[in-house]
Amino acid sequence: MFTRTDDKITASQAAVFLNNSVLGAGILTLPRGVSEAVKTPDSWISILLSGVIVMLVILLMVKLSQQFPGETVFQYAGRISGKFIGGLLCLLLAIYFVVLAGFEIRSLAEVTLFFLLEGTPIWAVIVPFIWAGTYLVCGGINSIARVFQIILPISIVVLLISYGVSLRLFNIDNLRPVLSEGIVPVLRGLKPTVLVYTGCEVTMTLVAFMQHPRQAAKAMLAGIGLPLCLYLLTVVVVIGGLSINSAITSTWPTIDLIRSFEITGFFVERLEFPLMVIWLMQMFCNFCSFFFQASLGFSQILHLKLKPVIFVLVPLIFIASMVPKSVGDVFALGDAIGNMGIALFILIPLLHSGIWLLRKKGVKPSG
Amino acid sequence: MVRRSAIVALGLLLALMMSGCWSSKEIEDLALYTGLALDVGEPAPVEKEFEEKGGTYSKQNKVVATVQVVPIKSASGSMGQKGGGGGQQKPFSNVSGAGDSILEIFRQFSIRRDRPIIGHHLKVIIISAELLKRQTISQLMDFVMRDNDIRPSTMVYISRGTARDTLTSNQPNEIPSFHIMGMIRNQSRTSKVLSPVSLSKLDALTYSKRSFVLQNLIKGDGEIEFSGAGIVKGDTGHWIGFLNQEDTECLAWLNNQGKAGAIKAYDSSGEPMTYEIKAMESKIKAKADGDNITFSVKLSTEGRFIETWNDGDNSTSEEFAEKAGQIFKAKLANMMQALIDKLQTEYQCDAAGFGEKLAIQQPAVWKKVKDHWDETFSKAKIEITYDLKITDFGSITE
Repeated sequence: MFTRTDDKITASQAAVFLNNSVLGAGILTLPRGVSEAVKTPDSWISILLSGVIVMLVILLMVKLSQQFPGETVFQYAGRISGKFIGGLLCLLLAIYFVVLAGFEIRSLAEVTLFFLLEGTPIWAVIVPFIWAGTYLVCGGINSIARVFQIILPISIVVLLISYGVSLRLFNIDNLRPVLSEGIVPVLRGLKPTVLVYTGCEVTMTLVAFMQHPRQAAKAMLAGIGLPLCLYLLTVVVVIGGLSINSAITSTWPTIDLIRSFEITGFFVERLEFPLMVIWLMQMFCNFCSFFFQASLGFSQILHLKLKPVIFVLVPLIFIASMVPKSVGDVFALGDAIGNMGIALFILIPLLHSGIWLLRKKGVKPSG
Repeated sequence: MVRRSAIVALGLLLALMMSGCWSSKEIEDLALYTGLALDVGEPAPVEKEFEEKGGTYSKQNKVVATVQVVPIKSASGSMGQKGGGGGQQKPFSNVSGAGDSILEIFRQFSIRRDRPIIGHHLKVIIISAELLKRQTISQLMDFVMRDNDIRPSTMVYISRGTARDTLTSNQPNEIPSFHIMGMIRNQSRTSKVLSPVSLSKLDALTYSKRSFVLQNLIKGDGEIEFSGAGIVKGDTGHWIGFLNQEDTECLAWLNNQGKAGAIKAYDSSGEPMTYEIKAMESKIKAKADGDNITFSVKLSTEGRFIETWNDGDNSTSEEFAEKAGQIFKAKLANMMQALIDKLQTEYQCDAAGFGEKLAIQQPAVWKKVKDHWDETFSKAKIEITYDLKITDFGSITE
């Protein structure tokens, strides 16, 4: 019943896996976060720039992982920087994934409670999702990848339809002038936009699961390319439709864009409901991905069996999701996660590539 | 055995889910409100009576909120009544309350009505100009923008008279708020109908402290009319004045929002003749020379010579088209100049979006003047050139 964890996934599955780990609640708040920082309509340039940066980061992660075929970061980190430091960093990474999983499920619950199920207790939204996630994660990476493959096209089609009909509000003047205050605002927008790519750390474990690890670079770049395009589209459509002034003041600007018009005569008059329901699945995918990564991390670091670890993590994730007291706390947590992500990026792939390169060079006779 | 009891337990658990949605509310038990009117505070007659009997709470009567409730049950009931030829029951009911917090007033309705009111289907908000003179637009709209039931697609209007009167109708089986919402369809006929200002647009406008216009609604003998627009000044958030219908047409043209319309002028013998606008466009170029800001506006239109009361004028010649075109152009220039004068001298505020053009075309200049834009705008030079072309004369030839 319980499939082994070393089952393999194809390149396209890996790409979808990465995509579904990145694309989540971020899309609903991204236009606000980036507009707040940029303050000019140039946020789309920030998205492009940060996308390029993240792609480079991912390439680095892929290259590093390819040096250790069949091993995840939790296994090879120890071999590079020693059992203690490597183990500690991996533990941090695993904890990071737990927090991230809790954050995703909490954002999911916040959106649901605010727009769909006002009055339902928050645990009643969170608990079923965690249990469904547990069931999925127990199935191993192959089942997760398959579920992702089913959900992704649906959520993208619904998202694109919603954006398509929102074009009636689109006004190109809202995106002009381009670079009115030079490049500085664009750079200010880099940090909040890098944050929406949190989750791309899964690359460091995904490569190990790939049937043909040599295709990893292509697959991972494709996997991050799709969210990049969707983020770009989101910012263009939301800022173009609502203008930055409205995007800044709105808690969930992307949903507010869809709520800003009614299409009488269409088969649904209000598209925010299909969009939100479908996007819940996407956030669920996000959650499952991090849940899986966290359980994988703990089981490989502590040399435990995967399944018990999964069940031990269930209450931990529930607690992590309930720690923020308010929506403000949730967003603060999101920022903290982003900072953590950047720190972890410097500590794990960058540091380890550095050490690894030094060691490799060190083999050569030095003069 | 263990397996079987597990299945039974699971089945029983599932039965718990069968009771339906957790926080569901039956739509029959709710009162949907589709319109909201805000007026200057003064207790409604019914409230005065309540107060006489001690029914009051601590408040300052700053605003009167009126909601238009569309009762689902009696809507079908009134249909039946009509069939029987009985007394006509209106398909809506308006409830008013005075206070100084819109949500508190709404909650006050809850102690007067049998069904909770719910804002998911709010379509239009009408604010009286008098109220907007005393309170700012962001004060009044704060609640509706925060609320999660009310959609940002709700349209906002201003009313020169009493706002709640626009939510009444003497047409049987007509819901005024739906009627108002439907009226924007006429945008394809006349640019006197402005593009509606939705809550999300209003949000951006108030945040950026720009001056803007809201379509004005007036009421006469049971009928509603879109009559011009009211200007809300950006930095104060107060209503400062009205634009008449012709100004509004020109404003829509300047903003490139207009799609159609008519220009009527009088020919040399004093008879009316009319030009039907088939296409209208405006191009605004902002130039800055030191502190002097100049806007050159190019208005171009194509259309049809559609009506003349001068029996002799059946000519369709180029020459006649040219002559008539000049007269229409003069009329248009008059209308435009009247609008520009009003904005620049009378109200001294840019409600026509010139500032946006400057921000896009001359971002560096805009940065300098944006904090006192309305004053700068009133001193800016606006040059308008007109290009009017009569393309045909309808189905009449010489």
